[in-house]
Amino acid sequence: MDATDQECVERCRNGEPDDFRFLVERYQKPLFAYLAGRLRDRSLAEEATQESFVRAFFALRRLQKPGSFHAWLLGIGGRVAHEFQRRASRQVATDPAWEFADHEVAADREDDHLEEAIAALPESYQQMILLRFYDELSCQQVADRLNLPLGTVTKTLSRAYAELRQHLRSSVDPEAAVHSEIKP
Amino acid sequence: MNCLECQENLVAYLEGVLEEQASVGCREHLDACPACRQERDALARLQQRLTTRGQVAAEVSLVGRVMGRIRDTQSESHTTMQTIKTLLRWGLGCGAAAGLVLAAVLLFSTKGEALASEMMTKGAQAARRLTGVHLVCRVRTAPADNFAHIDPKMDFVPVELWKEFGALPKWRVEKPGRVAVMDGQSTLLYLRAANAALKVPKPSGAAFDTSWLHELADIDGTLSAEVRLAQSKGSTLELRRETDASGATKAIVTLEAKSGLPDGDYLKNAFFNTADTRRVYRFDEQTGRLEALQVFLHAPARDVLVVEVDRIEYNPSLDAGLFQLALPQNVGWIEEPKAAPDDPQYAAMTAEQAARAFFEACGREDWGEVAKFWPLPVDDQFKGFLGGLKVLKLGDSFTSAASNARFVPYELQLKGGTVKTHNLALKRTGQTGRWVVDGGL
Repeated sequence: MDATDQECVERCRNGEPDDFRFLVERYQKPLFAYLAGRLRDRSLAEEATQESFVRAFFALRRLQKPGSFHAWLLGIGGRVAHEFQRRASRQVATDPAWEFADHEVAADREDDHLEEAIAALPESYQQMILLRFYDELSCQQVADRLNLPLGTVTKTLSRAYAELRQHLRSSVDPEAAVHSEIKP
Repeated sequence: MNCLECQENLVAYLEGVLEEQASVGCREHLDACPACRQERDALARLQQRLTTRGQVAAEVSLVGRVMGRIRDTQSESHTTMQTIKTLLRWGLGCGAAAGLVLAAVLLFSTKGEALASEMMTKGAQAARRLTGVHLVCRVRTAPADNFAHIDPKMDFVPVELWKEFGALPKWRVEKPGRVAVMDGQSTLLYLRAANAALKVPKPSGAAFDTSWLHELADIDGTLSAEVRLAQSKGSTLELRRETDASGATKAIVTLEAKSGLPDGDYLKNAFFNTADTRRVYRFDEQTGRLEALQVFLHAPARDVLVVEVDRIEYNPSLDAGLFQLALPQNVGWIEEPKAAPDDPQYAAMTAEQAARAFFEACGREDWGEVAKFWPLPVDDQFKGFLGGLKVLKLGDSFTSAASNARFVPYELQLKGGTVKTHNLALKRTGQTGRWVVDGGL
């Protein structure tokens, strides 16, 4: 079993700052996807991801619930994205080249809430979702990695999806709207 | 199959891992049940959204750059001494504090040359998205001592690091007298001469004073950090080119690195990270890959080469057995001190009192009492070395800015008559507050 977020955070606080790399490994992709959805520019999102992790590292001592690192990190990411957007909006006024910026992730804009919903899941569900979709492992590979039976992986994913849909339903989300219409 | 059974199996069905018979049953039920079809479609849409999001981030690999920026920011936002104090408040030991000092090593003092910066940037780019790295080094160090220890008077010994990056990193660092291994689950140190091992039941990014090697292995992060510092603070970066025997052009970037420790600090120049050095990076100009690094310690007469990374393998094929360690059956395990009734009595000692108690216990060969201060197994070698000693003199303890240890000057007469003069390093243990010997023998 990998070290939990809480264990990683506590080890960083207790003098092993190199262990922050485990948290970066774990959350760089969902954070990047979240910021790419917000900023609609890959290079900006990459810069904002780095900035968010660096700010998180130096604010670790203020994190009250180490087990909620992921949600807290996305909160920092949201503020960084806001700053970047403000900076970009100023740039739009002065830089005509801005209109040619990379919009390849624009299609994901409606999914702004997805990573926030993932971060709100219990850590064991988050781990399953992140390994399956952000590390792009198959269910069998997830089972091998976590040393769990395949059936446990699919059942945990099933419960994770249910909670994820519940969280999405409570946010302004097109999928939730569709879902609420068809719910018996 | 009814609705409940179908929905319980839907995820496995959609993932294609449901057994054939159940899969057929599920499919037949879905054909017949509109409500379950809606549920399947909703799940499939969610999976598709997640898959798309994962694909957006598939190529993201920022660990080296993030860790480099953290080291960089630590250097920029504090003076070195302030930072060390901060870390010591966090309870860092000497070696770990030394890890931070590497950041200070990366500071420059004058404007860097654009071409040298470009070469460093190219080297950083060539080291992105590595799956692993193997560093082959030679270091002037005591073969069995701390991994970060350097001494210009000593001969070179081989030091190697093998590292696998990714979601579950693994690494191994080895020198003749000790080896540290992190297999993704736990971190193990084995001291060959003492036949003693210490196991931390968790993965660690860089334990047992190996942080300087891990930072070098983060080639992307380290080179990027140096360039940023060069740009923001100016530097002594210099670039020259040479052609090797095969006709390939090599770019050589030289920079001066300061530890930030004041002259006269006891630990200055004792460890890689606490030394003022000149670092010489050697790149293949065509590929941009860093091929070698030499680190020269500034010494009064002439600079001395203390570390040479003479081979860097990128994305090597690393055998899983590298990250396992077969220990002798009779290995002695070093354990965390447990709470004991006499903790308050020992925690109340000063460093000088603890040093005296330790040495006098050695003198009367009271090995049970010695073990209260000595963290490793008290073996025959130890007993032969220190048994029967006589304390001639103990001085007032002092500290170093790079460590949370206290150092007690001593003069001993060993059993054979030899007089030994040195400084005993003592640290308080976090759990019990007792002093343990941390070096200086």
